[in-house]
Amino acid sequence: MSEDDAANDEPFEPVENKIETYGAEAPVTGQTKMQAAWSAESDDENTTAKVASSKQGQIFEQIYKPWEGTLNPRWMRNWAILRHHILGIFKKGHRPWNIPTRLFIFFVIIASMTDVALALLFGMIGEPTLYDIWGVNRDNLYGHVMGFFPRNILYYPIVAALLVGGIISEDRSHGTSALYFSRPINRFDYTAMKFLSVGLILLFIINGTLAVYYFVDILVMGKGWAWIIDTFPMFLAAFGCGIILSFTYTSIGLALSSISRGRFFPAIGLIAILMGTKSIAAIVDALFDRSLLYIISPYDSVAHVCQALIGTEMTYEHPWVWSLVSIVIMNGLALYLLANRVSSMEVTRE
Amino acid sequence: MMPDVSQQGKMETEEWRPAENAPVIMFDRVSKTYGRINALNSVSLGISGGVTGILGMNGAGKSTLFKLMMGKVRPSSGAIRLFGVDPWKNPAPYSRVGFVPEHEKMHDWMTAFDFIVTFARLHGMTRDEAAKEASRVLDFVSLSDVMHKRIGQFSKGMRQRVKIAHALVNDPELIILDEPLQGCDPLARTTIMNVIKELGAMGRTVLVSSHILHEIERITEQIVILHKGRVLALGNSHAIREMLDQHPHKIALECENPRELAKSIIKIEEVTGMSFAEENKLLIETKHLGEVHKKLPKTIIESGIKVTSIDNPDDDLQSILMYLTGGSA
Amino acid sequence: MSKTDTIWSQLDRKSTAIAEFTMRQYRTRISTWVVMIASVVALLLVLLFYIEAMNTEIEAIDNDGDSFDTDGDGYPNGQERLEGTNPDSPESFPDWVEPDPPEKWINEDDFDWDILVEGVNYVGSDDDGDCKNLDTSSQRDTNDNNVECDIIVDVDTLNSTVTITADSSVDEDPDEDKYGKEAGHRAFILGIGKFGIVYLLGIFLPLFLATGLIREEISEGTIHYMLAKPIARGEVLLYRMLGYIGITWPFILIVCLVLCLITGFTGPGDGIFRWEDVPVWMSIAWAAMLVSLVYGTIFCGFGIIWKNGVILAILFAAWELGMAFIAILTGGDSSIRYMSVIGWGMIIVDAGAAIGWPDNWQLVEVGLWGGGHGEENWLGDVSYVALPGAEPLAVFSGNPNLGVSNWLAYVISTLVLAFQGFMAWFIGQSIFKGKEVN
Repeated sequence: MSEDDAANDEPFEPVENKIETYGAEAPVTGQTKMQAAWSAESDDENTTAKVASSKQGQIFEQIYKPWEGTLNPRWMRNWAILRHHILGIFKKGHRPWNIPTRLFIFFVIIASMTDVALALLFGMIGEPTLYDIWGVNRDNLYGHVMGFFPRNILYYPIVAALLVGGIISEDRSHGTSALYFSRPINRFDYTAMKFLSVGLILLFIINGTLAVYYFVDILVMGKGWAWIIDTFPMFLAAFGCGIILSFTYTSIGLALSSISRGRFFPAIGLIAILMGTKSIAAIVDALFDRSLLYIISPYDSVAHVCQALIGTEMTYEHPWVWSLVSIVIMNGLALYLLANRVSSMEVTRE
Repeated sequence: MMPDVSQQGKMETEEWRPAENAPVIMFDRVSKTYGRINALNSVSLGISGGVTGILGMNGAGKSTLFKLMMGKVRPSSGAIRLFGVDPWKNPAPYSRVGFVPEHEKMHDWMTAFDFIVTFARLHGMTRDEAAKEASRVLDFVSLSDVMHKRIGQFSKGMRQRVKIAHALVNDPELIILDEPLQGCDPLARTTIMNVIKELGAMGRTVLVSSHILHEIERITEQIVILHKGRVLALGNSHAIREMLDQHPHKIALECENPRELAKSIIKIEEVTGMSFAEENKLLIETKHLGEVHKKLPKTIIESGIKVTSIDNPDDDLQSILMYLTGGSA
Repeated sequence: MSKTDTIWSQLDRKSTAIAEFTMRQYRTRISTWVVMIASVVALLLVLLFYIEAMNTEIEAIDNDGDSFDTDGDGYPNGQERLEGTNPDSPESFPDWVEPDPPEKWINEDDFDWDILVEGVNYVGSDDDGDCKNLDTSSQRDTNDNNVECDIIVDVDTLNSTVTITADSSVDEDPDEDKYGKEAGHRAFILGIGKFGIVYLLGIFLPLFLATGLIREEISEGTIHYMLAKPIARGEVLLYRMLGYIGITWPFILIVCLVLCLITGFTGPGDGIFRWEDVPVWMSIAWAAMLVSLVYGTIFCGFGIIWKNGVILAILFAAWELGMAFIAILTGGDSSIRYMSVIGWGMIIVDAGAAIGWPDNWQLVEVGLWGGGHGEENWLGDVSYVALPGAEPLAVFSGNPNLGVSNWLAYVISTLVLAFQGFMAWFIGQSIFKGKEVN
């Protein structure tokens, strides 16, 4: 590139030039363009004088050049969004998740590994009956993911609520969604990455600790291949359940986040939906001995399907396929709402 | 604290009487710190009567000053008196105060009339009294034709006027306006300025904050300049400008051979004096800072002496005024 | 300015101004409507199950097996026993009467729980006469209280247990449908009332509506208008709560009234409308109103303390959920429930149920006894087969257990809740007063 080209290509005049002239002259590029504009129009003698006297004020011709650089590939841009959200949990300089959220996630990760600790403890002591209670087996793999108390009442739903609380709604109310949409990022990618980042954090908490539980048991207890072949399908099934669970919580939560403005409503809304439907169904089950209403409860539907997948004892009377259909419908509705809201979202501060 | 069933407030009971000759606003060495940030630093002020402009850049402490007056934050040290009483935890003096907050957010779902009536009733008015007063103040800010429209449909200038109207509903003796002109178009500005001038003419004490001197000068000549939490200047704006011109400025140069450099600098017309404070340091005195700054670099380059730093030790007032007046001080 | 100084015109100032303002603000928010509609839909969903259950006949069971005709002579065993012929011999039958249809001997000896009086031995009526017809007096008085064909109901107040000892073949074949409908109806009211209305409505309405009452105004900056007026912050909080009550209390009351009307007409009973349910529904509404007021004040206070006050509110709600379970499932036997809000709400409901249905505890006990049929273990203890509806009713029924009369328990728990609400307001306003609002 020659020096002339460089001067023309610079959108702004280099800072060094300004210092040398002590700001006495008008910006270099503006001036040349101004001259060009005036001389192209007429031979008026006043032109140069006008240009030079910057104190009197002058109007520059505006030339907008589209940026013609090469764009990074789409996945790279999306990766940047994803990274921004997920890394915010651990370190500064990314999305600033608030301290309570981070503390609570830390607490939940520790608390959901209690079964690891107990299994290790009793395995090490060599207490077979207690180890049977806490060690890896079908019921415990199910319980690690789907156990109601405390995991699916105090841990995972509250983490999900804290995560989805402001993820889209605060972008709307603070106007920061404009930061995304004024860049070459389409709304699908934006939503998908928001979804993935919440989903992945949840998945990491649920399935990460599940994997720790399973593999620590193998390594420390020195399990043989026969045991691994026996239990690995169960582990995979539990892993799949974790995916369904975090997907369902995330999609409902993000849908709530997309329809509201504050941080309160999506968080309380998610908990209200999860706990409210569960409680209503439980009342009906207790009073009238009917388990059918559990299909309106996201947690119970997932739990029912997981019981079928992992093969533990069923605690519901209706066929599990109904629960599966219910999960599909719930997620479909939530994703439809989310897509609809994000695509019609106005890029202003609301 | 039990709720005030009489709904009269301490103002109208025997407990509290305003001091007869107390200034409307009194700040006595007030400081306010937020963590490690000094928002206000030992500010002493007394304001009574007329329109006063509070000038300062963003972060100069204007809003903190108002928040302290309105009892929203507690001073870290010093004393504040509003009509002679401490406003912290005591809302009694506010029956004589009208406050226009800086915040843009309003209750968009209400009509202008309802908004003003609701808040007028918090002054202890009955529904009818409040409605009467609301129509009066809306007329005063010339919004009576749109008063039954929702605030959400209003333009920024109209919203500011609604805010001002709501502050006037109790016929206050002190009116505080936090950046009332911000974001308004010239027409709305003129209307609001006229309203403020009118209030001043009516003998009210009015405080207006702004970061643009010209705006304030169109309303009043009495100004307070805040900078970095300190009162920088106080009084008539013309007098301040004049004093500023008379005020000799100093430029400090650090160089290898100050005496040699002084020889060439003395040739600059505007330089009125020079001194050698310490080794390698040259102090130039002038009353025309801008001119000297323009000529100085060329002189230095021609002299061929290496200058390591150029510093204006007391340019604070100058630069702030430069900023406030938009660079023409 | 002329001020007419009647108490009403004075109240027509600050308090009503803020309360009215708050209610209008709620009305413009979508979330208010979403929450209310969602709770109504959820309650209607449960109501559907209730109506279906009330319209389904519960299958009658012949608990003592006397509708069979063992010897095949055309007379059911019960009729043969009543007439004194041998039910096992085809030759012996009462030819002086027409044979009864077997259905008559399925639910032939129902209980009469409504004539039970506390402290008096229940003299069961041997409707089918198979006890009175027994040969010896010792056979007719198997519970050894020198009264033939009766039932001893022994209430042990110390352990809150009830023992039922019946002479053989008294009230042994109850009407499952009649009992199950009545018990199911009451269990529904108590279950949906305690858990659905007092707990769920009582906690979710304030979570959605009260947490942001002050906090949202602070974060949006609109609080400045209110705080620049000659009104103490404690009053602002109080009158905002007044506006909150103005929305939630009518809602709770209407929900309870509508449910009362629907269940009152569809429920079992001889009359057109079940008037005896009204006090129960009203105490449910009253408990829910008080509980939502206390929660609302607490959550609003959390919102004042911290901008993420909703997290504190959720943790508090989790604690209350645990307390709700304890209070419901132990039926009033635990004392840790006194450490909660919901526990006192449940006492109001239990006291109301005891006032509206004085026979409720007998209904539970006779249902669990179920006519005295069941497996006997090697120690001689019989585990009775409960009638349908008895177990849910037992779960959801409770006892105020304050050691005072029901009315007094009602008043005491109301006062306790009011005190909790006052304390929450008092702490909230003192925090609010010392809070720097930026």
